[in-house]
Amino acid sequence: MLFSNNRLLPANIEIDNGFRDEIATLSQRNVQLFSEFLDQPTFSGSEYEQTVTEYLRKKYAVHPPGIIIAVGDNALEFMLRHHGDLFQSIPVLHIAVGSAFLRANEPVPSDVVGIPADYDSLGTIQLALRWHPRTQRLVIVTGASDWDRGREAALRTGIPALNLAVTVEFLAALPSDAVVNRLAELGPGDVVYTPGYFRDGAGREFLPRDSAALMAAKSRAPIYAPYNPFIGTGIVGGRMPDFKDMGRQAAIAVNHLLDGVPLVDLKLPAKAAARVNVDWRQVLKWKIDPALIPIDSVVHFRQPSFWEEHRKQALLIAAVILLQALLIAALLVERRLRRRTASALQESEDRMSLAARAARLSMWVWEMVGTARKSSADAQAQTGARAVAPISFDDVLQTVHPSDRERFGRAVRQSAAGDEELEIEYRSVEPDGETRWFAARGRAEKPGGRMTGVAMDITARKTAEQQAERDRSALTHMARVSIMGQLSVSIAHQLNQPLAAILGNAEAAYKMLDHDVLDIAELKEICGDIITQDHRATEVIRHLGALYKRGELKLEPLNLNELVTETLNLVHTELTTRHVTVTTELAPSPLIVDGGRVHLQQVLLNLILNAADAMSEVGADQRHLVIRTELDGESVRLRVIDNGTGIAPQNLKNVFDAFWTSKVGGIGVGLAICKSIIAAHQGTLTAANNGGPGATFCATWPVRLQVSSAVSKHG
Amino acid sequence: MDSVFLVDDDPAVLKSLSRALREDGWAVETFESAEAFLARHGSATRGCLVLDVTMPGLNGLELQRKLAESRQALPIVFLTGDGDIPTSVQAIKAGAADFLTKPVASAILSGVIRAAIEKAASARESQAEMEMLQQRLATLTPREREVLAAVASGRLNKQIAGDLGVVEQTVKFHRAKIMERMQAHTLAELMHIAAKLGIEATERH
Repeated sequence: MLFSNNRLLPANIEIDNGFRDEIATLSQRNVQLFSEFLDQPTFSGSEYEQTVTEYLRKKYAVHPPGIIIAVGDNALEFMLRHHGDLFQSIPVLHIAVGSAFLRANEPVPSDVVGIPADYDSLGTIQLALRWHPRTQRLVIVTGASDWDRGREAALRTGIPALNLAVTVEFLAALPSDAVVNRLAELGPGDVVYTPGYFRDGAGREFLPRDSAALMAAKSRAPIYAPYNPFIGTGIVGGRMPDFKDMGRQAAIAVNHLLDGVPLVDLKLPAKAAARVNVDWRQVLKWKIDPALIPIDSVVHFRQPSFWEEHRKQALLIAAVILLQALLIAALLVERRLRRRTASALQESEDRMSLAARAARLSMWVWEMVGTARKSSADAQAQTGARAVAPISFDDVLQTVHPSDRERFGRAVRQSAAGDEELEIEYRSVEPDGETRWFAARGRAEKPGGRMTGVAMDITARKTAEQQAERDRSALTHMARVSIMGQLSVSIAHQLNQPLAAILGNAEAAYKMLDHDVLDIAELKEICGDIITQDHRATEVIRHLGALYKRGELKLEPLNLNELVTETLNLVHTELTTRHVTVTTELAPSPLIVDGGRVHLQQVLLNLILNAADAMSEVGADQRHLVIRTELDGESVRLRVIDNGTGIAPQNLKNVFDAFWTSKVGGIGVGLAICKSIIAAHQGTLTAANNGGPGATFCATWPVRLQVSSAVSKHG
Repeated sequence: MDSVFLVDDDPAVLKSLSRALREDGWAVETFESAEAFLARHGSATRGCLVLDVTMPGLNGLELQRKLAESRQALPIVFLTGDGDIPTSVQAIKAGAADFLTKPVASAILSGVIRAAIEKAASARESQAEMEMLQQRLATLTPREREVLAAVASGRLNKQIAGDLGVVEQTVKFHRAKIMERMQAHTLAELMHIAAKLGIEATERH
């Protein structure tokens, strides 16, 4: 029997015991068992293997073995590598070899058979998380030897595939002191998993069982492991194959082989299956719900206690004594407590009620099922802790403003069903018909149960917010109309061009109708041109209409490139008059981003006209404007780059301030409004001087906007 | 037949106006920019330029200035998409024949073009006459010019002889020579020519 590891490794001892017991009962033969230990991972390397091979060959030259039993991954690996020059043609039976190792080394030669062992580390982790449902963090402890590194690597690839809802912390190859200190810091919400280790980060050698014992002594969180010899060290348990059983299975197989059954006909179990092993003392210590422990689990250290043996009698006696004692104590304590708490409660309630009234805060309890007594009088007199009596949620719903009722009902029921906290703003219609705003926070006492919480009257804040919103919207609109005023000449031009084309065409056609020979093709073309130009005029009017109209910022997907082109059409004449040439450097179209069409157009108009103003003092042939759109990951950038006089350094920080202007006759709200429009897009608008002449204004905002915040603001 | 030269950066406008003007019987040439017009036409061009004000590159007013610099007598009718008063004043001051706002009825445009062409034609005629008179004037000797100036300012032969310190006979001789060289048949005609040439005011002592 060739063992992978140390002679004292508990798993080895168990396998050895299992084998000896079983072979003794099965067979009267004098089976001689010789054990060899590779002492991995303390000793390893090709030179060492060479020495061992040499040693084994020489040692067994006289008495060659009949069967080799390779125990564990390293032993089998050794045999696979040296079978050619060591114990050639002697059958090899492997046990305690992980199925992962076998998969990685397929196919094994035909004279090597065995019973794979199911070391179920991931199953053990899942088991642990099932037993501790409130776990938030999984702590994995591994060591520094090659074997330990192998466990760590397997866990690092295996755990992500489990899609665990907990955070995972690796304590890999740390000195044992550090491991123990860290484990001592853990607390509720943590679960530890370890395969133990042979060597720690400080180079100290261990038997894995001893390392587990070291951890269990100090850990403030339950420890799980995949090897059954660890049971008893203080770990809770895990899904573990039974090493003793592996020894027995090996004995059975050896017995058959000695009976003359050929290797190929050997009926071996498919695997040494993992079973749930658990230390009952740990179950009690960590308060694991016994209902979660599978019936077929191997439970260790559960001794039928006195309690279990004499259950009835004990119960009776204990109950009587307890009841008497309790009664006496309770009577005494209650009398004192009652007196003391009554005054404390009164004081606390008075304080609470004062604070609640000052904060316009009311407390509530809502019965979610419709059986609560109706108590609308209480509901109205909610202020003060003592007035809190459960009222039916259906009654509450009736007082909610019809426009908010559905949203409110849905949110509350959703919160009542789970343990998510309720946080909502809603309007309520008071008995006098007045609408007031409330902000409510609360949670379910237990999922599906009644809801408790507080509500605060926020009517004043809401009114101020709405007024501010209206003012901002009015100011934005005013600024837009003012830009349109500046552009009136340009706009007239935009409209008169198509009208001129229509009139000319119509007159030409009218006169052509008097010709002796009608040129139908030409007439048709003229009519077509008239229609095209009519569309052109209509389009201009449609755009203008939207810009003149006052409206809320409406975020929707739009093609930013198209918006740039449309806006440039609008200012075409203005820019031509001012000798400004424009280059557009647009991202690949369509550039679909979320945004407010009219408001973004307003920003663009503002920036373009500002740029034109900034270039009025440079030579006519140098007035060059660049408009650039770029997609940068999740956000979009819109740049307006001019070639003008730039922004004086001392003014750079002021350009976006309201009522600050460097222009004669400007009132200085344009850029402030532009900035607020881009801010409403959850973005930023910045200004900077170029390396060369001129300045660049850059608006950046996310391509995909969460529209919810904008919507909820308006109910 | 004089041509109409249409310059407008908007192809749709260009096409429709050229159609309407052709229906009114004009020969029309179209250009999408002032530069394109300049490239095609030297100083010999005759006709009427119908010009958009707002264009990229050289705009209407700038083309007008350039043509004036090269002493072209081509009449210009401006068309504009926006009734911008300062621009129209500037254009008219610089000699534009007219300044119209789009959209414009073709009857009005044709009328304006016709008037501009006629006016240009008569201007050309008077200029031709002026050039001829100046050529004749150039054939006079300095002394004859002096005599002509004196005659034009209404002085008698005797007074002129006194002014110049010569005998009256000599003045008569000069006058006959002047009449011949200026191709004037009567004194009234000579006075008229002198007025046209603006001699009276400039050479009086």
